[in-house]
Amino acid sequence: MELYVPILVLAVLAAGFAVFSVTIAPFTGPKRWNRAKLDAYECGIDPTPQPVGGGRFPLKYMITAMLFIVFDIEIIFLYPWAVAFDQLGVFGLVEMVLFIVTVLVAYAYVWRRKGLDWD
Amino acid sequence: MNNTFQAPTIEYGQLAPLLLVFGAAVVGVLIEAFAPRYLRKSFQVPLTFVSLLGAFALILVQVFVSGVPTAPAAMGAVAVDGPSLFIWGVILILAAVSVLLITDDDHFVPQAAAVPGSAEEDDALAEGAAHTEVYPLVLFAVGGMLLFAASNDLLMMFVALEVMSLPLYLLCGLARRRRLLSQEASVKYFLLGAFSSGFFLYGMALIYGFAGTVDLAGISRALGTVSGQDPLLLIGTALLGVGLLFKIGAAPFQAWKPDVYQGAPTPITALMASGTLVAAFGALLRVFWVALGNLDWDWRPVMWGVAILTMVLGAILAITQTDIKRMLAYSSIAHAGFLLVGVIATGDARQNADALSGILFYLLVYGITTVGAFAVVTVVRDAGGEAGHLSRWAGLGKRAPALAGVFAFFLLAFAGIPLTSGFFGKYAVFAAAATGGALPLVIVGVVSSAVAAFFYVRVIVLMFFSEPAADGPTIAVPSMGTAAVVTVAAAATVVLGVFPEPVLRLADQAASTLFIR
Amino acid sequence: MTTHYLVLSALLFSIGAVGVLVRRNAIVVFMCVELMLNACNLAFVTFARQHGNLDGQIIAFFVMVVAAAEVVVGLAIIVTIFRTRRSASVDDANLLKY
Repeated sequence: MELYVPILVLAVLAAGFAVFSVTIAPFTGPKRWNRAKLDAYECGIDPTPQPVGGGRFPLKYMITAMLFIVFDIEIIFLYPWAVAFDQLGVFGLVEMVLFIVTVLVAYAYVWRRKGLDWD
Repeated sequence: MNNTFQAPTIEYGQLAPLLLVFGAAVVGVLIEAFAPRYLRKSFQVPLTFVSLLGAFALILVQVFVSGVPTAPAAMGAVAVDGPSLFIWGVILILAAVSVLLITDDDHFVPQAAAVPGSAEEDDALAEGAAHTEVYPLVLFAVGGMLLFAASNDLLMMFVALEVMSLPLYLLCGLARRRRLLSQEASVKYFLLGAFSSGFFLYGMALIYGFAGTVDLAGISRALGTVSGQDPLLLIGTALLGVGLLFKIGAAPFQAWKPDVYQGAPTPITALMASGTLVAAFGALLRVFWVALGNLDWDWRPVMWGVAILTMVLGAILAITQTDIKRMLAYSSIAHAGFLLVGVIATGDARQNADALSGILFYLLVYGITTVGAFAVVTVVRDAGGEAGHLSRWAGLGKRAPALAGVFAFFLLAFAGIPLTSGFFGKYAVFAAAATGGALPLVIVGVVSSAVAAFFYVRVIVLMFFSEPAADGPTIAVPSMGTAAVVTVAAAATVVLGVFPEPVLRLADQAASTLFIR
Repeated sequence: MTTHYLVLSALLFSIGAVGVLVRRNAIVVFMCVELMLNACNLAFVTFARQHGNLDGQIIAFFVMVVAAAEVVVGLAIIVTIFRTRRSASVDDANLLKY
């Protein structure tokens, strides 16, 4: 049974963090209401009226989606490492750190070149 | 399935050239991220040269100090053997020479995201913007080439193929002038390249299904235990072959080559026509000789057909071309055919070593002459950029005798005229093929060489014996880099044509151990 | 029975390959290429099951990452040419010939 204690602790921590964030947000966050923020939320696009033929999306959406895909999929390599990380020992850790640093370099490039800015 | 994993051993020393090139590429990305715009180029150019030449020095250290390794590195994933080291050296030399061409900013678009002809493009031009990302992209592509030629299992080969190709797809679309052509070349190269890597991957899946491993030596072992008629194996071999033959531009998978070579910025064409071809031949040899060597009764007849078709198609279609870059592309297809003759010429170990040595030497001489020829193409200019149409080259010999003379010399080397390096390259491959029982192929090769010589000579005649047009192209004053490239390429073509022994001997030594498993 | 999965994978691969050859929109062509890569993944995972080793599953991971990188590069190229020409049809890209 004590095998499940860490999971329980993690669950409590996660729930605590969620409750804390939600309760603290109304007090600390800036409140600048506008029309768009009061709309029904649907991926940031006006739900009605629908443009003819689905309309065209600004290029910004594609860039964001592409960045998401390429950084998201890198996580996949963490899974096999996570499964065997204790057997792989220091070697695995060092290699994984190197891998993540390489991904971070790409992230730094995107960030500095304003790939993460919306406007 | 056992549950104990062992940390792999990685021979960092053997992989040092690869790590240096990839590391420099990553640093290049960091420079792009943090250096101010006006400083980027002055960081990127030295970094690129230092990493390429440093990697070359590391290869020399490996060969002359540590000795050529006798077992694959990185748990059998990368084989740093004699042929690999020779091919690495060739790729690094060709890449360094191509980068000299690339340093001439004039070839690349100031801002790729600006629509051609738009106000943004004019603004970018006016403020002197430049995509210095070109340098890290080239380094990634070169790293991919190195890995592609040395990968000892199919997964590594697939990853290397993509690491090599993805930057090249982007680089193809960055020409400053004739941007519509350049973007179109990029789309075509990308779609066809992705299509062919799909075939490569499915072939790899079927071979994995057959052998239970993607290790080249493991596949070879699995071949010994069953009869060679397993449909998984045969279909897998065919699909792998499609993927690899596409990369070298062999018929019937050659269609992309003229389009891409014409549309891409010429320095990038030079890099693709030399480096990619060398790397792809390294990988092709490794797959067909190491993994599928015992299956040669099945793949050899098909390869015969492919080689004949490639040589004939390349030589004949080149005659009908009116654009200089397209003509060089078809010439590159024909040369891929000549090199395939060497791939087919297998036999006993001695025969294999001869054929391999011929191919290695041919790759070196062809690559260096190609870079030189494309360097000449960059300086013959019209109002709208390079004067591509052959009619514009008429009478060039009277307007710029030195330049036209050097270009004529490169063309003669392509044709394989004695006293040029091309002669010894062709001779080495064809001689090995003749003793290897591929005499009919050699005859086809010699005949298509003669046909090819016709269109090379036609260009020479056009340059020297016709009147220059009144509004002929201007000869741009070559930048330091371009002049250096033309000089180096011409010198190499002469020296390897008159005095080829040392390099031939080096190729012999590199080939003598064949591929390690 | 792993045969069914292999047949499915071969079918998906063929659909993708035929799609590349017959469809005209560059984005659809590209999606067909992705279908081919995913068919390969299915084959790899099936063979991994058949052989009882993990190689195939790990290869599938690599293929997914490579495919994602290819998507990013490919869409960038296709969007660029679309912005220039206002068309993503591969038939309209016909300046380079002869």
